[in-house]
Parts: sequence; structure tokens; C-alpha cells
Amino acid sequence: MPLLLAAMAWLAPGAGGAGAAAARQPWPVQVTDGIGRQIAIARPPQRIIPIFASNAELAAALGLSDRIVGVEAYTRFPPELTSKPQIGGRLGFSVDAIAAQRPDLLIVTPARQAMHQLIDPMTRLGVPVIVLLARDVGEVLGNLRLIGQATGEAAKGEAVAAALQARLDKVAAMTPARRPSLVMLTGRPGNGLALIARADTYTGDAMVRAGGRHALVRSVVAQASPEAVIAADPDVLLFAGRGEDLEALKAQPGWKLLRAVREGRAWTVTRAEFLIPGPRTVDGIEKLAARLRGVTMEGGQAGAAAANPGQDQP
Amino acid sequence: MTPQTGRRLQPRRFLLLALVLAGALLFGLVAGHEWASPARLARAFANSGGHDMTSQLLMVWRLPRVLAAAMVGALLGVGGAIFQGVFRNPLAEPYLLGASGGAAIGATIALLVPLGLPGGPVLAALSFLGAWGATWLVLGAAGLQGRPDTAGLLLAGVAVAAMLGAVRSFLMLALSDDTVNLQVVLSWTLGGVQTPDAGGLAILALLTAGALAVSLPLARGLDLLGLGDDQAFAFGLDPARFERRAVLVGAAVVAAAVAFGGLVAFVGLIAPHIGRWLIGPRHRALLPASALIGAALVAVCDGVARAALPPAEIPLGLVTALIGGPFFLILLMRRLRA
Repeated sequence: MPLLLAAMAWLAPGAGGAGAAAARQPWPVQVTDGIGRQIAIARPPQRIIPIFASNAELAAALGLSDRIVGVEAYTRFPPELTSKPQIGGRLGFSVDAIAAQRPDLLIVTPARQAMHQLIDPMTRLGVPVIVLLARDVGEVLGNLRLIGQATGEAAKGEAVAAALQARLDKVAAMTPARRPSLVMLTGRPGNGLALIARADTYTGDAMVRAGGRHALVRSVVAQASPEAVIAADPDVLLFAGRGEDLEALKAQPGWKLLRAVREGRAWTVTRAEFLIPGPRTVDGIEKLAARLRGVTMEGGQAGAAAANPGQDQP
Repeated sequence: MTPQTGRRLQPRRFLLLALVLAGALLFGLVAGHEWASPARLARAFANSGGHDMTSQLLMVWRLPRVLAAAMVGALLGVGGAIFQGVFRNPLAEPYLLGASGGAAIGATIALLVPLGLPGGPVLAALSFLGAWGATWLVLGAAGLQGRPDTAGLLLAGVAVAAMLGAVRSFLMLALSDDTVNLQVVLSWTLGGVQTPDAGGLAILALLTAGALAVSLPLARGLDLLGLGDDQAFAFGLDPARFERRAVLVGAAVVAAAVAFGGLVAFVGLIAPHIGRWLIGPRHRALLPASALIGAALVAVCDGVARAALPPAEIPLGLVTALIGGPFFLILLMRRLRA
């Protein structure tokens, strides 16, 4: 259902193609990107390169797939983007490959050297580059509006963001007062450390919006001691990854001490929904929220109240 | 030779080292996300089958980890003592002949390639093979034109390490997925002991005992090497053959440490030095002393890694370098002043 809604949002005839809305919007436009740069865009961009899966998904959600002329290797969704020319990925980004597509807008995120490798050369070539951040879910929705403004699809950006916000509001309205405590592992441990989703990241925000609270709120780095995770004894242990990796983790010493493992509340979540800050995150939040409501109902007060009452998330 | 030449095993100093190790193990058990008082520990030992969460955590998770950390440290200490003996160089460390680069390639493959095999054993096996294989590669490269001298071995080690480092970096970039897997490999290269299950702990204990058993017979040869090639030859040692054998044994010992603890920095360098200062240069005493010192160092550093920034855990290799570095410098300065 959420996927269907998202698909309808893409298909919705917000602007009647690239032309109409863009023509109504006065050009050039000036936008302020995620890191506070003022970017002037002279004409409605027709050849867009979104770098990173999240930016590609955001652009596609605004119906811009036809205008996308290049993606990087990890962009695997939506399907219509997988056949686009590749401009890099695993080993960095090729300025040449990007320039060969004659883009008129580049959308990047500060990861894998993208900013450092690309902003300067692209600016010299006269290609506007907007940088998007995703520090929380609200910022992800804001990115839809920003891409909308930059591409002449401001109304569409507003509409898609508002539709996603409405879904989030609906989830929030159904969130029970007593929130189960959560820890999300975002990778399998290689040398004993557990990689966890920190509270101050967009993934951490998504967990709270789904109706949970963080069992571990103070983490300086994403690497937590498994001992700390086990001692926090969250109501639900989330694992962003494959079921077999979760099973392997549960078999390691100590993890069976967790109530969540013993009582069948160690769940996998989809990496694309919780680690790619795009529209699918809202799908992930809805699915997780539904499962968490089940926990609250099944466990009554006892389970949720038992874990670390002092570490409640506001 | 040095004044200690004629001394025997110095049981009092070994007793002291054993007490230090016991203290380090106790610290490792006490330190953690939540500090446990010795009384709490005693209750956990008494209540090991009970349902109390803290007791179970201490017994099931923390105790095996502390023991594993100590054994990894012991292996590094022994490996370091062998390498410093072979190369007659106080700067020699166990990763000198490419072991770290090789191990890291093995670990990168284990962590990033879906092999469809159980993760933990594959990681240990591949990092062991990588570490040991790299040393064979160095010996092979240096020995192509007949007998390698020490400088030739070291240079071959540097070259192979550089190549392996590049291959590792390439694999990390080429095999990693978009999100967090690189972090997993990076944190592995910074060292860290994973709590083993009972079987893993038994294997590690066997490896540690075996490492001491195969290293001790090298003691006489390592002592003779210290006299110089000619003297060693006069005492009936073939230095070239012995070096090769000792390097392979040392590398296997270090590879075992790497398989269970990742790339833990610095311990293999400083444990033998401290041992030499306490016990003297005779390898029959130095090898077990280095094992005890390495074990104590890693047990303490692992405790600090778990306790310093809860609930986060600092990779062990960073702690060993951060704590071991100044500690070593203080000892060094005192010694220079004396």
C-alpha cells in the first residue's frame, strides 16, 4: 500500500511534464542548499544527475526520471533509473563521465568524497551543484521541496512532501504513549563491535517516528559495545540487513541474553528503507510502526516500562 | 653477552608478572559499559547458572572476551619477541613482513564477499591465511636469488606490505556496499576481540599453548643469532635456515593473534622490550615473559576500550597505541636516563 501511494505520487500529473510548471516559475531561481550555499539556476534543468541512491529516489519521486541523464553504481531504485548511464560509484566519480552527459544540474550528498571531487570542477564548467543533507526525516522531506524549487517543480515538491508528511502524521497519531525501546544494528560485527543507528541521525529519527525510543541514547560513535547493547536489553532489536546475518549474530555469545532475542522480537528491517534517506523511509516507518504497535499491545505495560526508564526519549 | 647470561628462569620475576596478569584480568572483568565491583564479580561467579542479567552478561560475554583478549596479547608478545630476535632489531614488530597487510586482505574478503559460509570462522581462517601467506610471499621474494640477508628480507617485507595495502584498499572500494560495510572493515583493521563461544575459546587456548610450545625450542637459536652470524655458525647453527624457520613460526603465531583480534597495534613491539628490561635478553625466559606482558597489556586495553566512552566501544588497536605509546615512552626515557 505505501509503495502504491508512492507510485501514485510519482504518477500524479502535478506539472503536466517538464514544461508547464517550470515555465510558470520565474527564472533564474535562487535556492539555498543543505550546507547554506546560494545556488543560482538559470533555466529549468533538463539534464539532471543525482549522485547517490537517496538523491536519485528523491528526484524520481518528483517525476523527474525522464530528465535524469546519469546515476552512480549504487542507484538501483526505482527500476527506470537502472538503465541510465553510470557516472561512477564504487571507486569514486568521473568528472569526465559526468561532463559527457552535459548535465545542467548535479545533486550530491557529502559522502564518499562526492563534494570534494565534484563541486569545484562542476562549478568551473558552469553546472550548478546542490548539496543535500539528511540529518533527520524532516530534512529528507525538505530535500523534496528543495529539488522541486531547483527543477521548476516547486508545487510538485510541496505536494509530494506534504503527502509523505501526512502519512507520518497519521503514524504519529497512532503511536501509543508507551514506546518500546529499540536498538538498530546497521551492520554485522566484524571484530566484536556493533554498529548501531545513533539517535541523532535520520535513521534514529525514523525509529522514533515509528513509535520507538532509543535504548542507547548517548553514543559518541556508531560503534557500540555489544555489552552495552545487551545490558540495555531493548524491547526490540532491529537489524538492518539479511535474515541469515541476524541469525548468525544471535548465535554469538551473549546475544541470547536479550529479551528481544528470546521472545522473538529481533527483527530485520530493509536497508533501503532505513539507510537510504529517501521517500521509501516513510514506507519503512509505517511498517515498523505497525509492528511496534503489536509489541505494545502484546506486552502491555510491563515490557516497555522495564527497560531503562531513565533513558526515555522525549 | 649481557649480565643475565648465566641466570636461570628467575621465578620471582615470573611470579610478579603472573600477579600483574592476574590484576589485568581482574581489571578487564571489572571494566566495561557498566563497572562491576569485585563483589559483584564474585556473585556472578557464584551465580553463573542463575537468571540475573548482570551475572549472565559477566559470565557469558565479558569473561570469555577478557580471556580471549589476554590470549591474543600473549600471541602478539611471543610473535614480537621472535621477530625482534630474528632481526636483531628493537624496532622489529610482528607485522614487519607483510602479516598485517595479508591479514587485512583476508578479512576484507571475509567481511565483504558473501561466501555463504559462517562469518566468524571464515573471518578467522582467511585473516590467518592472509597473514601467514604474506610472510611466505616475502620469504619467497627475498629468497629468489639465494639466501636473503636481513636487510633484503626487510625490504621485501616493506614492498610486499605496500602492495598488499594497495590491494586491500582496492578491494575495500570495489567490494563494499554503499552504506556502512566499509566501516566494518575499517574497524576490523583497528583491532578488536570478538567474544568467542566455548569452542572458539578452546581453539584459541590451544593455539596459545601451541604457540609457546613451538616457540620455546627457538630460544637457543635466537640467543645465538644475537651473537652474530659467525658466532652462531661456530655454535652449530645455520643462521639462514634458522631465520627462515623462526620467521615462519613467528608469523604463524602472529597470524593466530590476528585471526582472533584483528590488527592490534603496538603490543608486539613493546611487550618484548618490557620483557627484556625485566627478565633480560635470554629467549628461554623472554618468550614466556613477553607472552605474560602482552596478555596483561591487551587485557587492560580491552577493558579501557569497553569502558572509556560507554555505550560506544573504542577499537582495541587505537587504545593499545594510545595507552601503550606514552607508557612505552616513559619506560624508554627512564631507561635512557639510567
